[in-house]
Amino acid sequence: MIFGFTDEFTIGMIGVTAMITMIVLGVRVVFAASLVGLLGVVEIIGWQSGAALVGTIPHSKSVTYVLSVLPMFILIGFLAFHAGITQALFDAARKWIGWVPGGLAVATVFATAGFAAVSGASTATAAVFARVAIPDMLKYGYNRRLAAGVVAAGGTLATLIPPSAILVIYAIIVEESVGRLLLAGFIPGVVSALIYAGIIMVNAKRDPESAPSVSGFTWRERFASLPGTFPIFAVVLIIISAIYNGWATPTEAGALGAFVVLVIALFRGMKMSTLREALMETAKLTVMIFSLIWGILIFVRFLGYTGLPTAFQEFVTSIDAPPIVILLCILLGYAILGMFMDAIGMLLLTLPVVHPAMMALGYDSIWFGIIVVKMAEVCLITPPIGLNCFVVNGVRPDIPLSDVFRGILPFFIADVITIGVLIAFPALITWLPNQLIG
Amino acid sequence: MTPEATLGPADTPADARTLSRFDRLVAYVEDLLNLIAALAIFGLMFLGVLQILLRKSGDLLTYLQQTIPSAYDSLALEALRPFAAPITGYIDFVELSMATFAFLGAAYTQRLGGHIRMEMLIGVLRGRALWAVECLGTLLALFVVGVLVWYGWDHFMRAYTNGDSTIDAEYPTWPSKLLVPVAFGVWWLRLALQAIGFARLTIAPKAVPVAVPLMKSVSAQADDEIRDAFGSQGVRAEVGEGAPQPGADGDAGSGPEGPREGRPDGQSDERSGGRPR
Repeated sequence: MIFGFTDEFTIGMIGVTAMITMIVLGVRVVFAASLVGLLGVVEIIGWQSGAALVGTIPHSKSVTYVLSVLPMFILIGFLAFHAGITQALFDAARKWIGWVPGGLAVATVFATAGFAAVSGASTATAAVFARVAIPDMLKYGYNRRLAAGVVAAGGTLATLIPPSAILVIYAIIVEESVGRLLLAGFIPGVVSALIYAGIIMVNAKRDPESAPSVSGFTWRERFASLPGTFPIFAVVLIIISAIYNGWATPTEAGALGAFVVLVIALFRGMKMSTLREALMETAKLTVMIFSLIWGILIFVRFLGYTGLPTAFQEFVTSIDAPPIVILLCILLGYAILGMFMDAIGMLLLTLPVVHPAMMALGYDSIWFGIIVVKMAEVCLITPPIGLNCFVVNGVRPDIPLSDVFRGILPFFIADVITIGVLIAFPALITWLPNQLIG
Repeated sequence: MTPEATLGPADTPADARTLSRFDRLVAYVEDLLNLIAALAIFGLMFLGVLQILLRKSGDLLTYLQQTIPSAYDSLALEALRPFAAPITGYIDFVELSMATFAFLGAAYTQRLGGHIRMEMLIGVLRGRALWAVECLGTLLALFVVGVLVWYGWDHFMRAYTNGDSTIDAEYPTWPSKLLVPVAFGVWWLRLALQAIGFARLTIAPKAVPVAVPLMKSVSAQADDEIRDAFGSQGVRAEVGEGAPQPGADGDAGSGPEGPREGRPDGQSDERSGGRPR
C-alpha cells in the first residue's frame, strides 16, 4: 500500500482516470497501461508480491503459441508488396470487369479487396494502389476525386478480409477462436467491396464522362492476366483450408503463406536488402503489438482485482434503454477515439472493459469484433483526419487533400450504411464461421 | 541499414557530444537486437513449413502402408518413418523462441517512435511546455521499465536456479526468460537517453534536438506508411500493357521512380519537421 487506499473499487477508478490522463497527455499506451497496472496491483496486494507478479507478466503472457501467428501474418503483408501482386491484380481486375460503368474504379475496388487478403494494413494498401491504379484512371479521363477516393476507401478492406492481424488480436483479448474471427471477416469485407462497387456504378451511370468504362479485351487476354494473381489465391486457400480442415495450425498456415509469397517475391527479383528491410519492419511492428498486449494485460490483471469490469457491466445493463442505443453510443465513442488512435491500440485499451458489457447486453462476441474493426477502419477515411486520405495525397501530391476528402465522401457514407446493414443482419457475420466450424 | 540515429555526428551541437555518442552506441545494439528478432521470425516461417512437410510425409507413408502394403514392405519404406514425423516439442520450442521477437526489438521501436500513443494534445504543445511533458512521460516509462527489468531478472533467476523446463519437451525455460531483462535493459538505456535529451531541451528549448524521437504530423506519418509499403527500393509500377492509351495527361510523377522515393531514411524530413515526437 503506497497511497493508503483500502477500497479496491476506488483504487480502480483512480487507476482508470490516471491511465486516461496519461494517454491523453501523450504517454505511450504500453507505459501508461503497465505503470497503472503495476502501481494498482502493488496498492492492493503490496510491493513484494505485487511487483513480483507484474514482473512475470511480460514473459508469461507473450510466450503463448496462439500469438505466434501474428508475425507470420505481418510478414506476409510486408513481403506481398515486393511480390509484384498489385499490378497483376489491377491488370486482371480491369480486364475482367473494366466493361461495367466506372469500370476502372470498380476494378480498383476488387483489386484492393484481393490484395487485402495478403496485406492486413489499410494505409499500406492505399499507398500501393495510389501508385498502381490512379495513373491509369486519370489516363482514361476519370474524375480525380473519384480516383483518389476509391483508392483511399479500398485500402480499408484490408483488415476484414482474412488473414487479418487485427482480428487475431481481438480474438486473443476476448478469448475467442482465431479461426472463427478470421472467417467472420470474409463476408463483411466482400459486402463492403460490393457496396463500394455499387456506388461507383450508380454514379458512373449518371455521369459516364467522369468514369468511362474500359472494354475490348479478348477472353485470351483475360485468362492470360490470371496467373499473376496466383499468390493471392494460394494464401487465402492455405489459410482458410487450414482453419477449416485443421491440417495446420494458423501459425503453420501463416508460415506457409509467407513462404509462398517470399518465393514469388524472390522470383520477381526482390533484392536481399529489401528482404532485410521487410524483416526489420516486420520485427518492429511485431514488438509494438506484443508490447501493447503484455502492457494491457498488466492493466487487466489490476482491473481483475478491482471488480471494475463487473461494475461497468452492471451499470450498462441497468441503463433503461434498448441495447441498440447503448451499442450505438459505444460505436460513436469508438468513432471519436479512432480519429486519435491507431486501431490496435484502441481495441486493446477498451475491450477489457467494453467487451464483457457488450456480452452482458446479449451481443455476439464474434459479431461485435467485426463491427468494432470495421468502425476503426471507417475512422481511417473520416474527414478531416483520416490517415488513408493523407497517404493517397502523399503518393499523389498533385491531387489536393480537399479533393481526396471530397472523393471519399460517398464511400464514407457507404461504410456507415454497411455498419447499419451488419447490425441489422448479424447473420452476414456469423453465418460463415458457423457453417465451416460449426 | 545504417542506424537511424536522430542526428548525424556533423550536426551535433557541442553541448551534446557525449549524449550523441551514447545515442549512436545504443542505436547500434538496438539494430542488432532487432535484426535477431527479424531473423527469428524468418526462422519461424521455415520451421512452420518444415513442420507441415514432415507431418504430411508421415501421413503419406501411412497412406501407402495401408493401400499398397506389399510395395511398402519390399521398399522398406518403414525405414523413412523416423524422418517423416513432426518435430517433437515444436510448440514448446516456438513458444520459448517467441521471446526474441516479443521483446528484443522494443528499444529499436522506441528509438523510431514506433510504440503507439495518442498525439491529440501533445501535438499542439510547443517549446518548453512540450519538452517538459515529454520528459515527464519518459521518466514514468523509465520507472516502469526499470521495475520490469528488476523483476524480470528475478523471474529468470527463479527458472534458472530451479531448473524449470517446459512440460512436453522439457526444454529449459531460463534462456527465454533471460531475454526479458536483457531487452528491457537496452530499452531502459534508450529511455534514459531520451529523458536526458528531453531534459536538455526543457532547459534550453531552442537547442538542436539530440537523442529524442521527433513527432510527425499526420502527413509525415502518411509518408512513413508509404515508405514502409514500398521500401527504399520501391515497387515496379508499370502502367498496364495491352490497353489503348488515349492522351497521357495527369500522370505527372508517377513513373517507376515515384516522387517520394530516394529520400535518406527519413532523417532529413524528420529534422525539418522540427517537432519532437
